[in-house]
Amino acid sequence: MATVSLEQVNKVYPNGFHAVHDLSLDIADGEFMVLVGPSGCGKTTALRMVAGLEDISSGTLKIGTRTVNDVTPKDRDIAMVFQNYALYPHMTVAENIGFALKLRKMPKTDIEARVKETAEILGLTEWLNRKPGQLSGGQRQRVAMGRAIVREPSVFLMDEPLSNLDAKLRVQMRAEVSRIQRRINVSTIYVTHDQIEAMTMGDRVAVMRAGLLQQCDNPQVLYDHPDNLFVAAFIGSPAMNLYEASVTEGAAAVRVGSQQIDLPASVTTAHSGLAAFAGKRIVLGLRPEHLPASGDARPGPTLTGDVDLVEALGSELMVHFTIDAKRVQAEGAHDPDAEDVAAAGEGVARVDPRAPVKAGERFTFAIDADGMQFFDPETGLAIW
Amino acid sequence: MAAISTTAERTTAAAPPRGRRDANTKKLARIGWGFSAPALLVIAAVTIFPIVYSVIMSVSNVQLSGNGFALNGITGGNYSVLVHAAVWRYAVIFTIVYTLITVIVELVIGTCIALVLERLTAGRGWLMALLLIPWSMITVINAELYGYIYNGTYGVYQYLTGLVGLGHPVILGTPTGAIAGMMVADIWKTTPFVAIIVLAGLVMLPGDVYEAAEMDGASGWTTFWRITLPLLRPTIALAVMFRVLQAFGLFDLPYVLTGGGPGYSTNSLAILGYFAMFKNLDFGPGAAVATSTAALVLLGCLASLRVFRVQVGKENA
Amino acid sequence: MRTRKRTGWRRIVNGVNIAGLISVLFIALPLYWMTIGSFETPANLASSPPQWFPVPGTTANYSTAFSQYHFWIFFRNSLIVTIIATALVLALGTLAGYALGRTPMRGKFSLLVVLLMISVFPEIAIIAPLYLLMREIGWLNSYQALILPYTAFNLPFAIWILRNYFLGIPKEMEETGRIDGAGPLRTMWSIVLPQALPGLFTAGIFCFTACWTEFLMALTFNAQTNFQTIPVGIATFGTQDITPFPTIFAASVVAVIPIGILVFIFRKFVISGLTSGAVKG
Ligand SMILES: Nc1ncnc2c1ncn2[C@@H]1O[C@H](COP(=O)(O)OP(=O)(O)OP(=O)(O)O)[C@@H](O)[C@H]1O
Ligand SMILES: [Mg+2]
Repeated sequence: MATVSLEQVNKVYPNGFHAVHDLSLDIADGEFMVLVGPSGCGKTTALRMVAGLEDISSGTLKIGTRTVNDVTPKDRDIAMVFQNYALYPHMTVAENIGFALKLRKMPKTDIEARVKETAEILGLTEWLNRKPGQLSGGQRQRVAMGRAIVREPSVFLMDEPLSNLDAKLRVQMRAEVSRIQRRINVSTIYVTHDQIEAMTMGDRVAVMRAGLLQQCDNPQVLYDHPDNLFVAAFIGSPAMNLYEASVTEGAAAVRVGSQQIDLPASVTTAHSGLAAFAGKRIVLGLRPEHLPASGDARPGPTLTGDVDLVEALGSELMVHFTIDAKRVQAEGAHDPDAEDVAAAGEGVARVDPRAPVKAGERFTFAIDADGMQFFDPETGLAIW
Repeated sequence: MAAISTTAERTTAAAPPRGRRDANTKKLARIGWGFSAPALLVIAAVTIFPIVYSVIMSVSNVQLSGNGFALNGITGGNYSVLVHAAVWRYAVIFTIVYTLITVIVELVIGTCIALVLERLTAGRGWLMALLLIPWSMITVINAELYGYIYNGTYGVYQYLTGLVGLGHPVILGTPTGAIAGMMVADIWKTTPFVAIIVLAGLVMLPGDVYEAAEMDGASGWTTFWRITLPLLRPTIALAVMFRVLQAFGLFDLPYVLTGGGPGYSTNSLAILGYFAMFKNLDFGPGAAVATSTAALVLLGCLASLRVFRVQVGKENA
Repeated sequence: MRTRKRTGWRRIVNGVNIAGLISVLFIALPLYWMTIGSFETPANLASSPPQWFPVPGTTANYSTAFSQYHFWIFFRNSLIVTIIATALVLALGTLAGYALGRTPMRGKFSLLVVLLMISVFPEIAIIAPLYLLMREIGWLNSYQALILPYTAFNLPFAIWILRNYFLGIPKEMEETGRIDGAGPLRTMWSIVLPQALPGLFTAGIFCFTACWTEFLMALTFNAQTNFQTIPVGIATFGTQDITPFPTIFAASVVAVIPIGILVFIFRKFVISGLTSGAVKG
């Protein structure tokens, strides 16, 4: 068991590509840290530097109190689970799991006992004598986990270990990986590009973009108080609605398209920085759940849009609407699999299922004012 | 945790030293050199030194004495001997023409065989095994076998031509006969090899391309010329390269089958070089023959790569 | 697999198939002749017209080859030289192929190109200096006079083939090994080699064939019967006046058998080796 700390770590590939910039990150003992970001942002690179599989161009990497920049992977006391599992095809499940122990010259009987114990934790006992080729995707994934667990390392590294599984199995394994990690309580760095995975699994989540760390905090803080536009847009599904807006003189209201939204005192106090933007352009962010009901039913600020589509989910209505303001895109932050919300003034609201909302009609949404977010359009930073 | 968001800020950060290799990488690289050292040493000992020495010998005055030989000064004499020797000029032309003809014939026949094999549904494995026998056969045996077949009094060939009323043409006794006969023996041994390379290439071609062509209404021939052949280009280039190299080194077959004769009609460059060095002990000119042959081979290789517009695989990094 | 639709007799009888059949006959007939020739009496074989079946057959040619012509010695020499050279090529080639494929050596790509160029060098270009060198160190008429050059000449191709195989094995497996504490030799032996067996077979069969059939160096370096290999032996069976074809054929059949068996068993690997792209389009 150990902490991991990266101090100003950089990676420049031999071809000159600067993949990771000044990454500083502290992983506490036993913590589950998730690295998340769009494809190509340098997550794998960062993880491989921790593993010792990739040179660290500059900066310091510590495991525990020891600086390990120049320590070989095997002496770093880590275990890694790869996306493609990298199971040895010519060895049985038991041999795969036991290989690392065999390398340490552990007595045969001890190896057997440890393998058996690990297999029990993972529900692999039945398959111990099979070769990886004869296993299902989920079983292979477990073997890969087993191979890491059996070593009792002080740090776990996992690179998108669930991305080769189908959606349902992924949800199931998500819980299982968390459960195992909690049970053995080993510091873990877990890489994924799936923000839901990040949110559900991580004690803390580090969001990366183009080699730069954007924000690192626990999932709820990331969700409620994103530090910048990118994090705001990346975290959450459906994504936060972001519109170009402007602050009125006196900073008592914001204008979005042709509408004016009056800001309650609670908002102007919480976001005192808004005063500096009086008369200037900002970006307004509203999560779908902060447009919860009909504006006629509640007092306070409202937003009116043309309803394009209503999806009834039972517990709530997912309402797609359009307003006459420009939607803001944070580059690279959108899940390519998600529905395309790129068009002009589109937005999504999560509305009470009893609200009288119909596609093709105009509808006024109540705004849950405390959920409003504001960003500086120049720097992308949140305004508080 | 600090949050930085704009990409603009990146440029301001001083770029860290690029591609610094830390202890792990350096260690791995050392291991790499350690692993390859034995192989590289063996290769260097047996090839690099002799290649260099051969080149040096080809531009030196080689003097033989009872217990050895000595290199006495630099000279262009060996090469000028070559250029003025009709035998050498003949051997160059012979080797090139021989290579061109045999390789082309092998390609055509080999491709035909491969196309047939590809459509066979039964017995393909056995046929391929049959094809591999000539490939793996000792060339000397190949030569002896054809020596028998071409035998003037009881050879099978004589018998067959007699049967179809072509009389009894002399094969190994006349220059044209000997050259043609040698080509047939060579083609017999190496066509199967070409066929198998092409077949392996054919099997790897994606099937959907053919289906698309069929949808487009392409006929069998059009499909072959417009789709199969272009897709096979790298495979064929590989076969041609292998063969061009082998053909330039042509030695075993004429040594056993014709002894280079009649006259010097089947003197390949290798035969010429060998006889010069080991029969006449003319090491200087012999080395010049050897060196010029090596140069021709390299040229031939580059040319065939060029003709097929193929590049040698780049690093798969 | 693609299908092409042709109907009726044209499906079987068409130009390509006929050409193919003729080619197969062209390949098979000489082999047939060699085989039956080895069972004919010398008189029968030298009779015209030639006979299609060895009646009466005899195995005397085989005993002649072994007793009178020292074929046993040639066979033994060929086996020794070929097996040792092949083993060396596989051992050294595996190490080098792995290093050149997987370790961060600087300049390894140039090294590979140099290797490729060496492998295309004709033997004749180096035979004289090598001969002089062997004479100098007293290696003429010895096994090592052939084993060492055979190893060197077959290594480059083997390294290429093996490297291509190694590159096809997911890198993560070796990385897992490294993290788990396997040293480089251990990684190669336990993780990489078991998965590269097809490549090993391919390289092995190519090397074996090349050594088994090599003539020029064997002829030049080992003039004494005691160290001659099959090709040289068979080439010297004849005298100026007569060529003992039945005996030669008997020896040839015996010489073809080991390689024939190997090639038959490993035919898949010969083919995959030929296409495992050293060359790209
Ligand atoms: N060996 C290399 N040489 C040069 N550039 C590289 C190398 N490996 C990766 N890169 C580049 O570095 C960047 C980060 O790569 P990395 O694999 O860390 O991304 P990632 O965040 O893991 O993405 P993904 O989610 O797609 O796995 C990418 O732009 C990639 O093209
Ligand atoms: Mg990745």
